[in-house]
Amino acid sequence: MSDAPDTHGATAARYFIDESGLRALTAELLAAGTEVVAPVATDVCQSPSAIASSACLLPGVAPVDIDYKLLGDAAELDLSRGLPQLSLKQFFLPEHEALCRWHQRGIVTTIEEVPTSFAPRLVLAAKPCDAAALAVVDQVMNWDYQDELWNGRREATTVFNLACPVIDDSCFCTAVASAPDDTKGADGLLTPVEGGYLVEATTDKGRAFVEGHKARFTSVDGAPAAESRERQAADERAAARVRVAANLEIDPASVRDWIDTHFEDPLLATLAVRCNGCGACTSVCPTCHCFDIVDEEEGVGHGTRRRCWDTCQASTFTLHASGHNPRDDQHVRYRQRINHKYSIYPLKFGEVLCTGCGRCTRVCHAGQDIVEILAAIDVAARHPEPVDSGAEAVKP
Amino acid sequence: MNIYHPQLAAVTEVTDETVDTRTLRLEFTDEAVREGFTFQAGQFGEYSVFGAGESTFCIASAPTRKGYIECSFKAVGKVTTALREVNIGDTVGFRGPYGNSFPVDDWKGKDVLFVAGGIGLAPVRCVIWNVLDRRDEFGDVTIVYGARSVGDLVYKRELEEWGSRSDVKIVTTVDPGGQTDDWKGEVGYVTPVVEATAPKADNAVAVLCGPPIVVKLTLPVLEKLGFADDAIFTTLENRMKCGLGKCGRCNIGSVYVCKDGPVFTAAQMKELPPEF
Repeated sequence: MSDAPDTHGATAARYFIDESGLRALTAELLAAGTEVVAPVATDVCQSPSAIASSACLLPGVAPVDIDYKLLGDAAELDLSRGLPQLSLKQFFLPEHEALCRWHQRGIVTTIEEVPTSFAPRLVLAAKPCDAAALAVVDQVMNWDYQDELWNGRREATTVFNLACPVIDDSCFCTAVASAPDDTKGADGLLTPVEGGYLVEATTDKGRAFVEGHKARFTSVDGAPAAESRERQAADERAAARVRVAANLEIDPASVRDWIDTHFEDPLLATLAVRCNGCGACTSVCPTCHCFDIVDEEEGVGHGTRRRCWDTCQASTFTLHASGHNPRDDQHVRYRQRINHKYSIYPLKFGEVLCTGCGRCTRVCHAGQDIVEILAAIDVAARHPEPVDSGAEAVKP
Repeated sequence: MNIYHPQLAAVTEVTDETVDTRTLRLEFTDEAVREGFTFQAGQFGEYSVFGAGESTFCIASAPTRKGYIECSFKAVGKVTTALREVNIGDTVGFRGPYGNSFPVDDWKGKDVLFVAGGIGLAPVRCVIWNVLDRRDEFGDVTIVYGARSVGDLVYKRELEEWGSRSDVKIVTTVDPGGQTDDWKGEVGYVTPVVEATAPKADNAVAVLCGPPIVVKLTLPVLEKLGFADDAIFTTLENRMKCGLGKCGRCNIGSVYVCKDGPVFTAAQMKELPPEF
């Protein structure tokens, strides 16, 4: 895992790197065998929701699907891209991964362990909401039992964010304790400035990375020539914060407590009305981490036990063998998702299980809009009198 | 070795409890694991047949019986059907023990009432043997066990064994119509039997487990008898995958059955949101 980040400013080591320097650094890393992950254009844009969002309609950018991918060549690097369709989650909790392998020969069974240490990897130009999600999910992955597979990938990976210009109206990172220039979960931050990027290394891992590739970076600490660049970076970051804050402002603590005390409030059922349980929101979510464990036979007497992404929106998620299902209706399953993110997780771990990326809204074909939903809960939470006459607290 | 890595165990005994319920005795293949394995009454594990997957059940044997563990299951799904196919000498996987336990040590000197319905006797059986193996430490031991029919009663040999002991009071009952010609137990639901046989509530605890209807109907009876909410213990089950608080499916509101449970008092259950 990344060590605790410093606050921005005094203790963060600051450098400058230009476009060609960044490309050369990427080439150097790839040549040395370090895997580099960055957002790249993967295909001509097929997804209506991605077209609807401005993710692939940034000015001057052809409409294409964007995804975080392992780079094969430094030439693929293009930091002008918008929000990748899937979050960074896939590089830490893969869509499916081996937990162990079994071999049976006659009556003898053996279990083969899977490695829990991984090759070094750099994530370049991570969205701050995606990196922040890593630090949030760290909590559950280390709740008493340590998930070595998650932790192993976290330790092997260095993450540098790219300050986000804010994508569209579905972004709300500032409403859930993050920001478009957050470094939570990351080891550093790149901010576009004239001619290149201002680079801040905010953790020991981030500083060690820059130190290890010193020749590519110019230190800006105390360099008067860099002042205008820093001012430019600070101005743009401040403007982005203002832009995203205009989308949604809530009090997460009131939302948390309201949900906790209004389990059966009709408002929660009303807010779920359009959801038809496809589970796309949980797939694209950077913090949704629920999984299934299944055995996959790969021949006679051997196979792999895997964990795979699962979704709380499927009725089979909680279905008992007896046929009883504690979450037997879609609005109840939607309530679970809202409850888990904005109440259960904050109560257990002190953090909201959401970083405001807005992907669930953009991907939803039924039009569930998390910004509207949180705003409605926030209104209910701020008003001591029930908003709906039928709304009554379950618990006093 | 990551936290999802199972231990191997050999099946050493197979007992058919009913037409579809079976008990397996398992001994860990690795000697160090076999010798070092400990658990507490009420804890559960993830049992697996390689190729079919993992399934969650309580450990049905008592922690006071060393060298093996037992599980009882009804063959209803993919994994339990595969588990029913295994024979003596076959190898299965086990992860655990997980979850909290019944606070048996706190019950010293008290009367203990066990109420179970159907296969709900499996987790209770673990506590019964745990208490009987330390018989001197407890007051009266009363067992009320009900099933739909005589054929649905599990652990029949042990019901007889408990019935033959002078230091155990046991009443078995089957639903009306479920009796056979030679049935010597009661006919009717467990609730009137509990009312008639329960020890005085002022120095007693009750352990209750069974289908939701048994739990739902018995709780008011125990309350009427004067059992306090924190003297009534039950064990909940929910679908689980990891057993470790990660996979995110067993929670009831903010309570994770796998980590905060599976053992809850009636007082704790009343605090839970109505989603189980």
